[in-house]
Amino acid sequence: MRARNRIAYGFLAPYLLIFAVFWIWPIIYSFYLSFLSTRAVPWTWAPHMNWGRLWIDPAFWNALRNTLVILFIQVPVMIALATLLAVLLNSQLLKARGIMRFAFFAPVVVGEVAYAAVFRLMFNADFGVINKILTGVGLPAVSWFSNPTAAMALIIMAVTWRWVGYNAIIILAGLQSIPDDVYEAATLDKVSKTKQFFFITLPLLRPIILVCVVLSVIGTMQLFAEPFLITNRGGPGGATETLGLFLYRQGFTVLNFGYASAVAYTIAGLAIIISLINFWLGRDPK
Amino acid sequence: MKPQSEMRSKSSREMIRTIGLHAVLVPLAIVWLFPLWMMMVFSTLPENAIFSAQIQWLPGTHFWANFEQLQADTGFLRTLFVSIMVALVYTVLSVFLTSMAGWALARYHFLGKGMVLAIILGTLTLPYFVVVIPQFIMVARDFGLANTWFALIVPPLFNSLGVLFMRQSFSMMPGELFDAARVEGVKEWKIFLFVAMPMARPTIAALCIILFLASWNNYLWPLLINNQPDMMTAPVALGSLIGLTRVSWGGIMTGAVLLTVPMLVVFVLLQRHFVAGIAAGAIK
Amino acid sequence: MRVKLGCATLALCVAMGASGANAQSGELTIWSWNIAASSLEAVVEGFNAQYPDISVRVDDLGNQQVFDRLLAGCAAGGAGLPDIVSIENHEAEIFWAQFPDCFVNLRDLGYTEELASEFPDFKRTELEVGDAAYAMPWDSGPVVMFYRRDFYENAGVDPASIQTWDDFIEAGIAIAEANPGVTMTRADLNGDTEWVRMIGNEQGCGFFSDDGSAITVNQPGCVAALEKVKEMVDAGIMTAADWDEKIQANNAGTVASQMYGGWYEGTIRSTVPEDQHGLWGVYLMPSLDANGPRAANLGGSSLAITSASQNPEAAWAYVNYTLGTNEGQVTMLREYGLVPSLLSALDDPYVSEPLEFWGGQAVWVDILGTLDDVVPSRGTPFFGDADAIVQAAQTQYINGAFESAQAALDDAASQIALVTGLPIAE
Repeated sequence: MRARNRIAYGFLAPYLLIFAVFWIWPIIYSFYLSFLSTRAVPWTWAPHMNWGRLWIDPAFWNALRNTLVILFIQVPVMIALATLLAVLLNSQLLKARGIMRFAFFAPVVVGEVAYAAVFRLMFNADFGVINKILTGVGLPAVSWFSNPTAAMALIIMAVTWRWVGYNAIIILAGLQSIPDDVYEAATLDKVSKTKQFFFITLPLLRPIILVCVVLSVIGTMQLFAEPFLITNRGGPGGATETLGLFLYRQGFTVLNFGYASAVAYTIAGLAIIISLINFWLGRDPK
Repeated sequence: MKPQSEMRSKSSREMIRTIGLHAVLVPLAIVWLFPLWMMMVFSTLPENAIFSAQIQWLPGTHFWANFEQLQADTGFLRTLFVSIMVALVYTVLSVFLTSMAGWALARYHFLGKGMVLAIILGTLTLPYFVVVIPQFIMVARDFGLANTWFALIVPPLFNSLGVLFMRQSFSMMPGELFDAARVEGVKEWKIFLFVAMPMARPTIAALCIILFLASWNNYLWPLLINNQPDMMTAPVALGSLIGLTRVSWGGIMTGAVLLTVPMLVVFVLLQRHFVAGIAAGAIK
Repeated sequence: MRVKLGCATLALCVAMGASGANAQSGELTIWSWNIAASSLEAVVEGFNAQYPDISVRVDDLGNQQVFDRLLAGCAAGGAGLPDIVSIENHEAEIFWAQFPDCFVNLRDLGYTEELASEFPDFKRTELEVGDAAYAMPWDSGPVVMFYRRDFYENAGVDPASIQTWDDFIEAGIAIAEANPGVTMTRADLNGDTEWVRMIGNEQGCGFFSDDGSAITVNQPGCVAALEKVKEMVDAGIMTAADWDEKIQANNAGTVASQMYGGWYEGTIRSTVPEDQHGLWGVYLMPSLDANGPRAANLGGSSLAITSASQNPEAAWAYVNYTLGTNEGQVTMLREYGLVPSLLSALDDPYVSEPLEFWGGQAVWVDILGTLDDVVPSRGTPFFGDADAIVQAAQTQYINGAFESAQAALDDAASQIALVTGLPIAE
C-alpha cells in the first residue's frame, strides 16, 4: 500500500507542484492581499477598506449588473440556439453537412483578438460594413460604440457568434450518444418529431445542457477580451464593463491590487453560487 | 392505393421538412461565415478601400502589402515564432503532466485520492481571474521572471480538464494488460510510458489540439506578463495595435488571418479530434 | 531677466555636456506614442551630433499601452522596462506614489533646481515629490480649435465670430447644412473625458483642487462644461470618435473642426492627405460668455528615466538635450507641433512664422498666446480612478440617466470620494 502511494504521488507530483505554486499559493495570497491598502507603498493592513468599498462602489455594481445582463440574456439565447443547431445539424436530411458544420464550428478556433478586431471593424459607426448594410436596406445606422444599449448588444452578438458552435459541439455529442432505439419505439407509436424532441431528446440532454450552462456561466464571469478590445475597455463610459474588465482595471490600470483581490474573490464566489444553483435546478427530479 | 398515397405524403412531408431545415440553417450559416469572410476580404484591401463608402465584398490584392505593413508595425514574424514555440512546448509539457496525473487517478488506489479528485473538480468552477493577480505578483515581482519563456509556458500548465480527460481514457483500458506487464516485472513508469500512452493515442491527439489552440489564443496572461517586443505573443502584439494611431487596419486583418487560417485548416483536417476534444470537456 | 540668466546657465550645461560626450556611449530605448514618439526620433540626429556613440531607439506603443506596460513593468520590479519613458503629466503621480524606486531621481543626474526653474511651475508640481524630481517637463497642450477653412466658408461662417459655445453650436448647424456629410466636430465621448476637461479647465475647474487635497469635479465650471457637451451632442453637431476615428474623419474630410491641445497641430499636419494642405486653420476655443476665458490645457507630457536603465547617464544626456535645450525643443515644435514647456524655446523665431500648411496663418502665435491664461489643473495619483468615474457619468448624462449635469457630477464626486478617501470641496 505504501509503495502504491509513493508511485501514485510520483505520477501526480509535477502536476500537484504546479498546482500548489501557481494556484493554491496565489489563492491564499490573494485573500491576504484583499485586506491590505495597496494605494501607495508601503502596503498597510486595512481590513475593512476593500471589502467595505465593494458594497458601496457603484462602479462594481455597474460591472456586476452588466455581467448579469449578459448572463441572463446571452447565455440562455446561446444555449437555446446551440441546442437548435445541434438538432438540425444532426438531421439525416441535411445537405452540405461539412460546410454547415464548418460555418458554426469554425469560430471555436478563432482567437479573441482576431475576432475582436474583425468585429470592431465591421461595426465601425462611420465605415463599418454592418452600418452600410443597415442604411442600404433603409434602416438607420447604429452608433455601436457610443450607444450603451447598442454596445451591450454588440458584445452579446460577438460572444454568441464565438461560442455557440462550441456548445453545439458538446450538445451534438450528447445527441449522438442517445441510442436510436429510443426513437424507433416512439416513431412506431406515431409520436410526432416535435413531441419526440421535447419529451425524449431534451430530458436526455438535460445533464449535457447543464454542463454547457455552467461552463458558460464561468466564462461570462470572466469575460474580458471582448469588452476590452471590441468596445474599447468597456465603453461607452463603462456601459460594457464586465466584472472581468473591472478587475483588470483595478489590478492593472489603477494598480489597486488589494481591491482587485477582493473583487476576484467575489467573482469566484458568485461563479460557485450560480453553478450550484444551476446544478440544483437541473438535478434529476426523483 | 392507400399505401402509395401514404408513401407520397411521407416523401412530401420529408421534402417540406428538408426545405424548412435549410431555410433555417442556410441563412444562419451565411451570417456565421460572414465575419470570417470579411476578415479575409479586409486583409487583402488597401486602407482607402476598407474605409470607403462602398461595401467591399470581394478580396483585393493587397495582402502582401498589408503584411509588410504589419511586419513593420510589430515585427509580426517574431511574435508568430514566440507563439508557435510557446504553444508547442506548452502542449508537450501539458500532455505529459495531465497524462501522468490522469494515469495516477485512473489506475491507483492511494491515500488522499478522493481529495485530489475533489480539488481538480473544484477548480473547474473557479474562474482563472481569482489567481491572475497574485500569479502576476509572484511570477513578475517575486520571481523576477517577466518576459521569459518560463513565465509564458509554466503558470498556465495547470489544467483540470486535461487530467479528467486522460483519466477517463486510462480507466477504460483493460486492467489485465497492465497486470500482465507487472507480473513480468516491468516498472510502473515504463508501463505508463510504453503501454498506456500509446494506447491512449486518439485521446492524446484530441488533447493536443485543444491545448495547442488554448495556448495559441491565450491573451490575458501573456498580455500581463510580457512587456517586451521580442517576447510578445502574436495575439498580444495584434491586440496592441487595436487603438493605435495611424494603425493599418489592413495590417491588423492580415495578422488576424495569419492567426486564424492555420487553425481553420487544422480544424478542417482534424475535425474528428477537435470535436472529440471539445465534447470531452463536458463528459466526465 | 530670469529667462536670460537661465539661457546662460543652460548654454554652460550644454557645453559641459558636450565636453563629457566622449565618455558617453551605449544604446537607449524609449517608450512613447504617436507623434510624441516621432518627435523623439526627430531630435536623434541633433543629439548624435553631440553624442555620436549613443544610439537611440524609440518604440511607439500607443498612449494607453505605455501607461499599462509601465505600471506592469514597475510592478514586476522593473522587468522589461526601457531606459526612458514618456509619462503624461496628469497620469504621472500614481507612479511616484506606487513605485518611487522604479525611477531615477533626476536631481542625482544633474537636473538642478536652476534647470528646473526654466519650466513653468504648473508643469513641475506633478513631477516632483519633496526634493526628488522623477521626470522632466516636456510639452504642454494649450487648447485651440482646429478647423477646415473651406467648410466654414461654404456656410459663410467667420471663425472670428464664434466667441461662445452657443455661437459654435449655431455655426455647426449651418456648416453641416452647407457641407453634406460633414459633422461640426467629434469627441471621444466613449473612452475619454477630454471635452469636459478642456471646457472645465477653461472655466477654472478640474477633477481635483490645485493642491490635490479635495474633489472639485462638481463645481460650476465642470458642470457647465458637461452641460455644453450634451447640448452639442443633442444639437447633432458633435458625434463620438476616438483618436483613430478622428484621424480617419480628418482624412476623409467629414469633420469641420477638432478641439485639442496645441500638439494636435503636428498630428493634422503629418496625417492629412496632400490636397488638404492650406485648408486648415486655427482659432481660439469658444467660451461660455462673450468675454469669458478662452484658454485651457489638455495633455502635456514628461520624460522619466527608469531604474532599470543600464546607462542612466546616457539617458540623462538624451533627456537633457531633448527637453532642456532650445535646439531639441524647437526641433520637436517644428517637426511635430509639440509645444515646448521650456520657456526660452518660446522666443524662437519659428514661433512667429506664418505657415503655409495653415493657409499662411502664424498658428503658433495664436496657440502660444493663450499659455499665460491657462489655469493649472492637478492630476493626482487618483486620476485614473476619477477619469473612469467621470466618463461613466458623462455617458449616463448624455443618454439621459441624470436630470442635470449637476446631479451627474455630484454623483461622480461622491464616487471619487469613496475611491480616494478625499473630501469633496465645499
